[in-house]
Amino acid sequence: MEIIKTENLKKTYKDNGVPVNALRGINLIINKGEHVVIAGPSGSGKTTLLNLLGALDKPTEGRIFFKGEDFSLKTKKELSDFRLRNLGFVFQAYNLIPVLSATENIEFSLMLLGIPEKERRAKSLKLLEELEIADLAYKRPGEMSGGQQQRVAVARAIVNNPKLVLADEPTANLDSKTGALLLDLMDKMNVEKNITFIFSSHDQLVIERAKRLLLLKDGLINDQNN
Amino acid sequence: MNLLFKLAWRNIWRNKRRSYITLAAIIFATFATIAMRGIQLGTYGVNIKNAVEMFTGYLQIQRTGYQENPSLNLAFSLEDSLQNILETNDKIISFTPRVYAAGLISYKDNSYGSAIFGIDPSKEKKTSKILDKLKNGYFFTSDTSLEIVIGEKLLNNLKVNIGETVVILAQGFDGSLGNLKFKITGTVKTGSPELDNMAVFMSIRTSQELLALYGNRIHSIAIKLNSLENMDEVQDSLKSNIKSKNLAILNWEEVMPDLKQSIDLDNISGLLMLIILIIIVAFGILNTVLMSVTERFNEFGVTLSIGMPQIKLVLLVLIETVFIAIIGIIIGDILGYAINNYFYFNPIEFGSEFAYIYEEYGFLPVMQSSINPYIIVNNTILVLTISVIACLYPMYKVYRLEPLKGIRHT
Repeated sequence: MEIIKTENLKKTYKDNGVPVNALRGINLIINKGEHVVIAGPSGSGKTTLLNLLGALDKPTEGRIFFKGEDFSLKTKKELSDFRLRNLGFVFQAYNLIPVLSATENIEFSLMLLGIPEKERRAKSLKLLEELEIADLAYKRPGEMSGGQQQRVAVARAIVNNPKLVLADEPTANLDSKTGALLLDLMDKMNVEKNITFIFSSHDQLVIERAKRLLLLKDGLINDQNN
Repeated sequence: MNLLFKLAWRNIWRNKRRSYITLAAIIFATFATIAMRGIQLGTYGVNIKNAVEMFTGYLQIQRTGYQENPSLNLAFSLEDSLQNILETNDKIISFTPRVYAAGLISYKDNSYGSAIFGIDPSKEKKTSKILDKLKNGYFFTSDTSLEIVIGEKLLNNLKVNIGETVVILAQGFDGSLGNLKFKITGTVKTGSPELDNMAVFMSIRTSQELLALYGNRIHSIAIKLNSLENMDEVQDSLKSNIKSKNLAILNWEEVMPDLKQSIDLDNISGLLMLIILIIIVAFGILNTVLMSVTERFNEFGVTLSIGMPQIKLVLLVLIETVFIAIIGIIIGDILGYAINNYFYFNPIEFGSEFAYIYEEYGFLPVMQSSINPYIIVNNTILVLTISVIACLYPMYKVYRLEPLKGIRHT
């Protein structure tokens, strides 16, 4: 089942007044439950593509369909709600809210969905147990290691049952052992919960585990499955 | 507790030093505005009370038009019905009839213009403090005595002594010229240059005889109330009970427009100072809130990307500002109330030179605070409003923040 589709996706931005064609016509279909890695050298447009797929940026040209619906037509407010209900994000620098504990960080998305406090607390604690990090529940990001923070970030990304999780260089700040553990966790979520994962990475560890690899070079894609 | 409130509360204490600076600015603004307004309004209160209780009265009844044109002919008869109305009003402590006229006072070769006040010492004692201003000698007690008490400077100008006799010449109600000899029994020193230079106090009966004000004619009734706050209410009540269109019921502001004007002017300059202070503090708050917001653009970008509505993020900044403002205001209110309370019960009385300057401007050389709760309520609302206004720009910046720009912010 098709979850995301792009048509002739182009993105041009200006770098010190000079136009840079970051993406030069991407045509892509990703189906539900896929585990996709977008790989490529620095500056190849990985993050730009991920931002467009995550509805964080608008294309210069082309269209993006999420379950058949063109979300480039949505308003800012609609996009915000769309991200909340359909997407999960994992960032390179974890980006947890430093003044909230692990469970509160996870609850944050649920709060935005209007879920009552008791229910969201139970849900976040259950998820922490599933991810085998229940001992971190009441710790704040400053009291956790990078790997632990990224596991909490994964929990935050999947707590609202998103259709798609976008992970931008999730292992970049982790050592290989911790990175492998994190990828195990995301693989597990991919299999058990049938969540679609799209990674952007140039980390060999991530690329090796890809079930589908999209190589991005000079703003164009080379789908290794095709 | 709502997670948004929890987040806002914890965010305040992320950068303790900055929060303490913001807090200090708000505490200072609240405290300073309450203390400034307290002292200002308290000092006005003391001056108004002193002025009205000295001689003018909280309210006066006069013939209509007398205030604008104080003519001897604009007198009215003190009738029992009018006295009954005044006696039955429970907010009126006392009242006293008066006669006013201009005259010439002479002693040997010296003659000076004078302001004649016909008063009833027994009623005057209950209504005003003029009898307390007796410097030397004694006040006449008899209704018919030919005794007078004059301003101390007038006594010096006339080069006359207490116990000696002077002649007073004045035009009567019927146009005739009246003159009588009077014995000076004492002097008053009121602090008001006008009164001390010109005042001649005599018994009301004698003044009516001198000025041919037959039929118990008088020029005003000064009224003392139990509180200045009841003034408007009593004025309205008297206006509706006294049917005569010939009589005007005036409050102290109408009787002493000069004092009212000086207070209004001083009040405006005080308010200007207050506004300047508030603007300075507002910029301080704006600066720290803006810094705190800009510093968290990356974090805000992340929360926006996970789907936090922009308006909730704006609300978060507002809650943070309101939290810190409320803490600052409460501490500022307590400190402001404490200082006002202290200076209410321990007013500052100025010494010689300061006292002279104050008196020159017609004010008592006393600084006293007011403990009127409205001062705290008004300034609390003012500082809270200013704090919220000061965070409008940071809130706007957050409102305009794009998730991606936030994430990329370093």
